[in-house]
Amino acid sequence: MNFNAARALAIALKEVRHILRDPFTLALGLGLPLLLLLMFGFIIDLNYGDIGLKVQDQDHTRLSREFARTFSSSGYFRLEPFSSEIAPVSWLDSEKASGVLVIKENFGRHIKSGRQGEAQLLLDGADNSKTGVVLSYLAGIMDAANRKFAQTPPRNSPEIRTRFLFNQELSSRWFIVPALATVIIGLLGVLLTAMTVAREWENGSMELLLSTPVRPLEIVAGKLLPYFALSLTGTVTVYLAARLVFGVPFNGSRIVYWTACSVFITAALAQGLLISVVARQQRLAMQLSMISGLLPAFLLSGFIFPVESMPVFFRYFTMILSPRWFMEISRGVFLKGAGFMELARPLSALLAINTVLITLAVKKFKTDIEP
Amino acid sequence: MQTAAAGIKLESVTKTLGKTRALDAVSLDFKGGLLHGIIGPNGAGKTTLLRILAGLLHPDSGAVRFSRGGAQIPFGDIRPEIAYFPQEPSLYPDLSCAEHLEFFRDLYQLPRAEFAQKSEALLHLARLEKFRNRRAGQLSGGMYKKLGLICVLLHAPEILLLDEPTIGVDPVSRRELWDLMHDFSAGRMTIIMSTSYMDEAERCARVQLLENGKLLAGGEPGALLEKLGAASFEKVFLREGK
Repeated sequence: MNFNAARALAIALKEVRHILRDPFTLALGLGLPLLLLLMFGFIIDLNYGDIGLKVQDQDHTRLSREFARTFSSSGYFRLEPFSSEIAPVSWLDSEKASGVLVIKENFGRHIKSGRQGEAQLLLDGADNSKTGVVLSYLAGIMDAANRKFAQTPPRNSPEIRTRFLFNQELSSRWFIVPALATVIIGLLGVLLTAMTVAREWENGSMELLLSTPVRPLEIVAGKLLPYFALSLTGTVTVYLAARLVFGVPFNGSRIVYWTACSVFITAALAQGLLISVVARQQRLAMQLSMISGLLPAFLLSGFIFPVESMPVFFRYFTMILSPRWFMEISRGVFLKGAGFMELARPLSALLAINTVLITLAVKKFKTDIEP
Repeated sequence: MQTAAAGIKLESVTKTLGKTRALDAVSLDFKGGLLHGIIGPNGAGKTTLLRILAGLLHPDSGAVRFSRGGAQIPFGDIRPEIAYFPQEPSLYPDLSCAEHLEFFRDLYQLPRAEFAQKSEALLHLARLEKFRNRRAGQLSGGMYKKLGLICVLLHAPEILLLDEPTIGVDPVSRRELWDLMHDFSAGRMTIIMSTSYMDEAERCARVQLLENGKLLAGGEPGALLEKLGAASFEKVFLREGK
């Protein structure tokens, strides 16, 4: 196959001029990544830090007050006492509180006499994700309360001490922000190139272009190059924001990370190009790229749902999707400091996907205008 | 010694697009180095014919043969020598005249020095010097066509295919376009252009009359009219239409 680099560069230069003159593309390439990162970084926070908890203390003893304090001193709850005339459930009905703690009468007396004190925690089961988190906090709080109220030091019993590696604070931002890079590149890359070839078909320039000596591989390479630079700039922005705004630690090698980024960006761009080549219409290309870019990146990459817990079909299906592999790399490098050796599998998978997508885009690229 | 520009021979070329038979067993001979006009009303098959010559469409049956000085040339070898400017807008509205010329310079890999000299000459001929920095989307219809023409002329093609270059162009610009083509043909170039303006037929060295995908007649304009016994080509088509 004869490939002329000068002609590919001519296409690239032309594309750069299109990009610089099209505010929409520029905004998409540079602004969207940052916007998405800031939005998702702040909104998707799976640690609930300020949960409003209404407290009805029917006991009014030192012990009952101390028990309520265990909740507030955990740092997760903001206590708001209320009088006994109001029905506890009404707070949940009106969504004025995420939970209601009712400390029953004789709570203090029972504890003092060595029996169990009774308290009730009402949670809003309609908000499943929040309730799940609260329940996990509850275990720790009960632990603290038991220690506080135990009359005698605990007997020697087996104890599990859990230490979380790589993300000691179990901060969901540390977990989400590196993953967001995957979603952003995966979506953006596909969107950016999906328009380019379809646009040439729509505005008639393809007919003129195809009558020149330029070859499909040169057009594909020439179109990949500038969008690669644009996407990489967007990715660097995301990386800097992750580090500086969200304080996510970076434990891995930068060479590994940026190599993997480059491979993943190319895969996303190639996917967009393939769509553009096949669709020939901007609107269709836009729709196809939204579906094929957004869905895998969000739902099938392990971003929200872990790949291991997917049904068997989807577990294998995700293997042909580049976001799934980059997700593994991104989280591995950021938090675990994984190197080339540990990431050989996802990296080679990305390379294989790349090769297939680019080959398909070139093969499907028609050198005539036959319908 | 300079051999004449390549000629093209069509042998019973048939092409169906959708349900329409766009070309129906068309056989004709485009002699090298001449200005050929393909004349016919809308829907006659002119665009399909030019697209087939440019290699953008492939005939269902029949053959297109290129030859120079009696020797046949495979399409792959002649393709870089063919220039084609479509009827529909096909330039980039956001690129300027100068940027279009640079783009075509790179696609055809012209040496910089040669390009500098040629592009100036072409801009001058087309009277576009003052508009070199204007974007194609902001050019008038006539200037747009002239820009397209000089872009494809830049690499001095042997065969120039123009699909209705004068349509939607004011009379002065039409005149300029014709002058451009005459200046460039002069034996060094085979020009094949389509037009639905019958009065333009007389400016061509040879004309081919096309209607409903069929070739009606062909030859030198004067001799052809005489042979058909008509005062003008318009009358020929009006008669045929009845």
